[in-house]
Amino acid sequence: MWEWWCKNRPLLLGGVLLLAALLWYSVSLRQQDETNFMESLVLRATGPVQVAFDRVIKGTADIWGHYLYLVGTAEDNRSLVEENRALRAVLTQSDEVRLENARLRLLLDFKEAQEMATLPARVIAEDASSWFRTVMIDKGSEQGVTEGLPVVVAEGVVGRVVRSSPRFSRVLLINDASSAVASLLQDNRARGVCRGQGEQLVFDFVLRQEEVKIGDRVVTSGMGGVFPKGLVVGRVESVDRQEFGLFQSIEVTPAVDFSHLEEVLVLLRSPQ
Amino acid sequence: MNRTLVYLAMAGSAIILQTVLLPLVLPGYNKPDLLLVLVIYLGLHEGPWRGGLLVYLLGWSYDGMAGTFPGLNGFVMLGIFLAVRGIVTRVNTESSPLLLLLVSVGTVLQTVMAAFALDFFSQTARIWPQMVLQLPLQLLLNFLAALVLLRVTVRLQRIFMPRRDLPGLRKLDSRYGS
Repeated sequence: MWEWWCKNRPLLLGGVLLLAALLWYSVSLRQQDETNFMESLVLRATGPVQVAFDRVIKGTADIWGHYLYLVGTAEDNRSLVEENRALRAVLTQSDEVRLENARLRLLLDFKEAQEMATLPARVIAEDASSWFRTVMIDKGSEQGVTEGLPVVVAEGVVGRVVRSSPRFSRVLLINDASSAVASLLQDNRARGVCRGQGEQLVFDFVLRQEEVKIGDRVVTSGMGGVFPKGLVVGRVESVDRQEFGLFQSIEVTPAVDFSHLEEVLVLLRSPQ
Repeated sequence: MNRTLVYLAMAGSAIILQTVLLPLVLPGYNKPDLLLVLVIYLGLHEGPWRGGLLVYLLGWSYDGMAGTFPGLNGFVMLGIFLAVRGIVTRVNTESSPLLLLLVSVGTVLQTVMAAFALDFFSQTARIWPQMVLQLPLQLLLNFLAALVLLRVTVRLQRIFMPRRDLPGLRKLDSRYGS
């Protein structure tokens, strides 16, 4: 017995250590929604270095783009003037719509939703691994950023804060596999849950009898308690309705281009 | 102690490279896992207790910058370290092609262990199909990163520490004629 133990001791000890690590991981998952000491320490330690690197890189790119690499600037300027003229025409039309909307709201005694406090933040780093989709922002609990707060840009939903330290936070993007957003189709109000799938999203739990068209807009339903109602999630890319089954398979393209995220807005008050 | 600090500094640099610099250069979300290369190197050249503790600590630190599953990389990195320790007496640890081979095998093992830990223990949606799809590109990136790191380390050694040997790089070094 002793001989067997001596012979297999490294293997057994290795196995025990690995099992202990797996058990500790399993126990730690229970506090997955909170920032633990180690994560906070890593955020604090790496954050300032990441900010410094980010500034140097963006500064260099800025100097190159604005002062050194000016080929095509005249052409860009001409097209922007034309675009500006076209946008002014659209703006005049939308002013009319806005005034009409205001009148209708007054008529219906519509109680305007209280505007949420927002905090602009800069994206300073991406996830270290290829599997997960998170970004780090330069605002933390000192500025009021806590776990669970929604993060958006003008185009739509970005994700929610999952880790926060005093000066830095990490945001889980909606295209991460562990992300789920309660959503609905803007046109026919069919409800479901948008889950991340790397590049795309899948819109789960939409009943088979619901009429879904490619290009339909998907917005947040406000049901999950994280995102306010009506934020754009994306557009329907494909619909697969099987002959049998309760639900249909819908793929959604996110409204936000996650590869070019630079500035985001943290919504400081979650909807009640 | 000095060696431990050097390893920690290397791990910190790897994390900064992976989170800030490499995403600007590489399209999409794929990036080489430099910490994996370091863990395999530690497996080949450090003892089980000191190396194991350091690797577990590095894994937990990695969790602070990757994903939302505390302890996942601690478990995965420790598993890879122990697997390397298991074969270390039967191989020539001074061979640099072995390091490249182990980085490739380690990438596969890392994917398998992480997929197991995520799909069996967490409440997340099925992630393993996504991981399997990414595996070929990840293998290529990790292999190339290990190759570049080996060459750069040898050059740096020749410039800054010409009279000292780095464990595991002696054979490669002599091949370059220093």
